[in-house]
Amino acid sequence: MSPVLDAHGHVGSWVDFFIPEPGARWLVDTNDAIGIDAVGVSHLVAVGRDARAGNELALAAAERHPGRIGVWLVGDPHRPDAPSILRDQLSRPGVWGFKLHPDTHACGADDPRYDPVLDLAADAGVPVLVHGQTGSPTSDPAQLVELARRHPEVSVLVGHAGLWPAGFDRAARLATGQPNLYLEICGSRLTTRWLERMVAVAGPERVLFGTDACFLDPRLGLGKVRYARLSDTDRALVLGGNLARLLGDRIILDRTT
Amino acid sequence: MRVFDAHRVLGPVPGDLVASADTAGLLAELDHLGIDGAAVTPSSVLFGDPAHEQEGRSGPVPERLAVVPVVLPAVPGAGWPAEPEQVVAAAPVMVRTCPVRHRYALTGPIALRWWRELAAAGIPVALDANECGLERVAALAAQVPALRILVLSPGYRCLRELAELLQSRAGVHVETGTLAGAGAVEWLAGQAGAHRLVFGTGAPLWDDAGPRFQLDHLRLAAHDVELIAAGSFELLCAAGAT
Repeated sequence: MSPVLDAHGHVGSWVDFFIPEPGARWLVDTNDAIGIDAVGVSHLVAVGRDARAGNELALAAAERHPGRIGVWLVGDPHRPDAPSILRDQLSRPGVWGFKLHPDTHACGADDPRYDPVLDLAADAGVPVLVHGQTGSPTSDPAQLVELARRHPEVSVLVGHAGLWPAGFDRAARLATGQPNLYLEICGSRLTTRWLERMVAVAGPERVLFGTDACFLDPRLGLGKVRYARLSDTDRALVLGGNLARLLGDRIILDRTT
Repeated sequence: MRVFDAHRVLGPVPGDLVASADTAGLLAELDHLGIDGAAVTPSSVLFGDPAHEQEGRSGPVPERLAVVPVVLPAVPGAGWPAEPEQVVAAAPVMVRTCPVRHRYALTGPIALRWWRELAAAGIPVALDANECGLERVAALAAQVPALRILVLSPGYRCLRELAELLQSRAGVHVETGTLAGAGAVEWLAGQAGAHRLVFGTGAPLWDDAGPRFQLDHLRLAAHDVELIAAGSFELLCAAGAT
């Protein structure tokens, strides 16, 4: 049976608002209850202010929940020593790839300061998940296309698939023109009809399930895919088949729970 | 378990092509999701001026649907209907109002008279927090404490303010569809009680599939889930009828 893999998750608290359940334990328990095999997380400390420390927190969560929590290591474009730190962390258990957040980093997705992270991803053969927000001066999907174009050997995941409904169709069309660009669908504004349209435009092999836990509740994200009018084959690709293919032997599932 | 969506829009909406553009399409959406009934606001009065969009809207609706009219308290000739007594006489299950979209003063002297009339008649008022902000909702709840208010689409970022509002104003209830933060529904139920939470989605403008799926997987006692799914809305609407 094809796995169910959440391509976009987090653990930790956040500065802007209250998150009732920021912990890995709650996330794993909830995923158990609804049938998500594993989730790739970046720690919100890493996304927000301290990539090195936050990545260590995510790695510790993965260690506590092997096979259930994977790690997207946040690449900080402002630290000259980031590549060497990330190279070491990349070999740790549970790492799925890298996460870039151009908006919190205040650094355009197509800025060359991200290139060392993409080079590491190419060497290791891991995907890079990038926050992709339509209209953002730093993370508009068009900038992610440019990043993907410069690094054709790296699978670039457009986090949130553009985030806003006004940008979903454009993001899907951008993916059709860039073979290593994938649409990761988490976000509070996605609806089943937009998911169905994305799959129709970009193709089922280019769309990846994600929830944005713990910002968002994983039950909401999974419900959209479960209720979407997709064929069983397409749904399986979106829910985890595509990500399993991109992760290769980095994905080790614990299906004992 | 009976599931009732307290917040849906019926009719064409700007910026998208939606299945619920007509009644048959909306009912098909409800069937697909296993939702028994819904409170629906016609898109014509939500995205148009209620004072000019009432013609031809008096046709029958299926029993599964309860129409939630949009009311607009204003000086004579600029609002709809002319007087709050007309709302009371029509006895809708709930009304909705849009102070920012329709540009009127929610707590101005004219509107306050309306809300006191509706409070006395036990007719709840729905307000979209995404449109008008929780501050306006809180101000109204403070000025007319007897009024039953359903807060629509509060989003997932204002849980602290929402919990405080629920604890301080007994008439306030909250729709769950956009309480999208991890564990937010259970947390708010713990803060204020499940009887204050009302299942609703805001579809088609907001997602309906996620909230519907979540309803089947809430980590709450069955009685609390049943309240959220339909019971709280029934209590909210019945409160004034006693």
